[in-house]
Amino acid sequence: MKKLFVSALALLACNTQAFASEPWDPAYEPPRMADGTPDMQGIWTSASITVLERPDGIDDLILSEIEALALEQGTFEAYGVQEDMEPTDPDAPALAKGDSSIRGAGGYNSFWVDFGNKVGRINGEPRSSWVVEPETGKLPWAPEGAMTFMQVGAQMTRNFDDPEVRPAAERCTIGFGSTGGPPMINVLYNNHYQIVQSPETVAILVEMNHNTRLVRMNSEHRPGALRGWLGDSIGRWEGDTLVVNTTNFHPDAGVRGAIRHRFYLSAEAKVEERFTLKSDDEIFYEFYVDDPSIYTQVWKGEMPLRRAEGPIYEYACHEANYSLPNILAGARRQEAEAAGN
Amino acid sequence: MKRRWKSALLWLAAPLLAGCGGSANGPAESSEQVAEFDQNLSGVWQAMNTANYDLEAHHARHALQTIEGPWGPQPDPRVVHLGAVGAVPAGDSVVQSGTIPYTDEALARRNENRANWIDRDPEIKCYLPGLPRATYMPFPFQIIQNDKAMLFAYEYANAVRNINLEDPGEAPLDSWMGQSYGYWDGNTFVIEVTAQNGQTWFDRSGNFGSPQMKVTERYTKISPDHIQYEATIDDPETYTEPWTIDMILYRKVGKEAQLQEFNCVEFVEELMYGHLRKEPLR
Repeated sequence: MKKLFVSALALLACNTQAFASEPWDPAYEPPRMADGTPDMQGIWTSASITVLERPDGIDDLILSEIEALALEQGTFEAYGVQEDMEPTDPDAPALAKGDSSIRGAGGYNSFWVDFGNKVGRINGEPRSSWVVEPETGKLPWAPEGAMTFMQVGAQMTRNFDDPEVRPAAERCTIGFGSTGGPPMINVLYNNHYQIVQSPETVAILVEMNHNTRLVRMNSEHRPGALRGWLGDSIGRWEGDTLVVNTTNFHPDAGVRGAIRHRFYLSAEAKVEERFTLKSDDEIFYEFYVDDPSIYTQVWKGEMPLRRAEGPIYEYACHEANYSLPNILAGARRQEAEAAGN
Repeated sequence: MKRRWKSALLWLAAPLLAGCGGSANGPAESSEQVAEFDQNLSGVWQAMNTANYDLEAHHARHALQTIEGPWGPQPDPRVVHLGAVGAVPAGDSVVQSGTIPYTDEALARRNENRANWIDRDPEIKCYLPGLPRATYMPFPFQIIQNDKAMLFAYEYANAVRNINLEDPGEAPLDSWMGQSYGYWDGNTFVIEVTAQNGQTWFDRSGNFGSPQMKVTERYTKISPDHIQYEATIDDPETYTEPWTIDMILYRKVGKEAQLQEFNCVEFVEELMYGHLRKEPLR
């Protein structure tokens, strides 16, 4: 119980800040490090209502202000519920199978959810998706790429034989849904990053699960034998834009699945990220994904990273991972019962 | 020649130093003095000692987990196949007082920990190491430092800690790596580590502290490539008095000056969950 309480604190402690996102000032001059490069240090959040792909029923990348307001209001109504903020009654009886009368039954109630309450804005414009290329806002799956994703995804949905086939969220290998990236995509909670810079290294600390991407500046990729769960990242400055190139991903890091988005990267995928400070409180984050075995074209996303209050607290996942052994043990129990034992 | 080389290094380092590490305590009267006491800890560092086996002085021995043989200890069946790889190299004590001043009760628990090492050492399960153990594990760590921020990233288990450069007050919750507050004391960078959860160990010999433990680390540059490291452990629940370890940290240079990835979570899945496979491997 105490552990649960502490976890709740950890989730809330780094609450998302809702800075208004104004159109960019073209004359904006960023603060600078001793070596003259823009100072992007600090805590940043990607929490937002906007998601990777454009939802069905929305045609345009740029939403009207009325549409943006409606989305934000809808999110508030869905998740801003006072009863969800109350402590759970520890003496409440178990729910009947299939009973969904209690909000969040079988999963998170909104107390635990922190995916933001604002539509993402680029240069002041409310966006319906991060994906800007293709213009449809949808991922350009190649048939064989979609097949690969479906096969690996199906394993995760149906196969409980071994720990290795379970997703990152259950294994605690890295945070789920590409929160650590690249590309770094907003998920259910813990959407915070800390950037610390030196001329040789730009460190991007990812809240979930305390992974630090150490971007080696003006360097070359390591040999393909050295793969990383967040790939192998090298960086350079192009004017005031930090450009980071990443490849050589760990083969188990392919599925990037979260509640609101799903995609897949092969181990050989190439990701280019571009970070540009547009105000003291906003980084314009662009990313290009080049993975010809999975997608028919390079796809591009645009996302704002907004300055947030710190600090980031430790998200230790593996150290108290009771879900993976319970998931596997549950499957063994089902098999035993099916066999009449 | 040596001196000229040193001066060249200083000249190169000067712009870095200007932007680093708070107030420049202690006037730099000569370039030699700056070299000996510079305030830039940036780089990739690693200890080269056997402290992670045992902080106290220890003979080389058969294994970390042993059973009684007819003529003395022999490797436990769970580690015997490792042969010489599983043996423990000898090392002098890094504890300034020689041994750790445990209370009687805590010493009994340390000895019990040691006897049950294979079941209890958090390193075996790839758990976050806490401080001071993260410093002298057999993996490098990187310090990224400037005048506004400081981050320690460790190769082992993606352990990481942000160093608060302003006093954050009491930590709101405990954690594996604790809360770090750092400041300069002259040319020594001091980090006060509090709010660790008491589940970490100091080494593979069962040495430990409680959640009340405060670790005060002191990092002092004694050459461009060496840091004198000290950590004082204060925990009245476990020890009769505070005690201090010290050792040298060495800079990794050239191609070796980078962290690799050691995400050991996947390496312990068989150990921790292998018995739950549909078809256990053994």
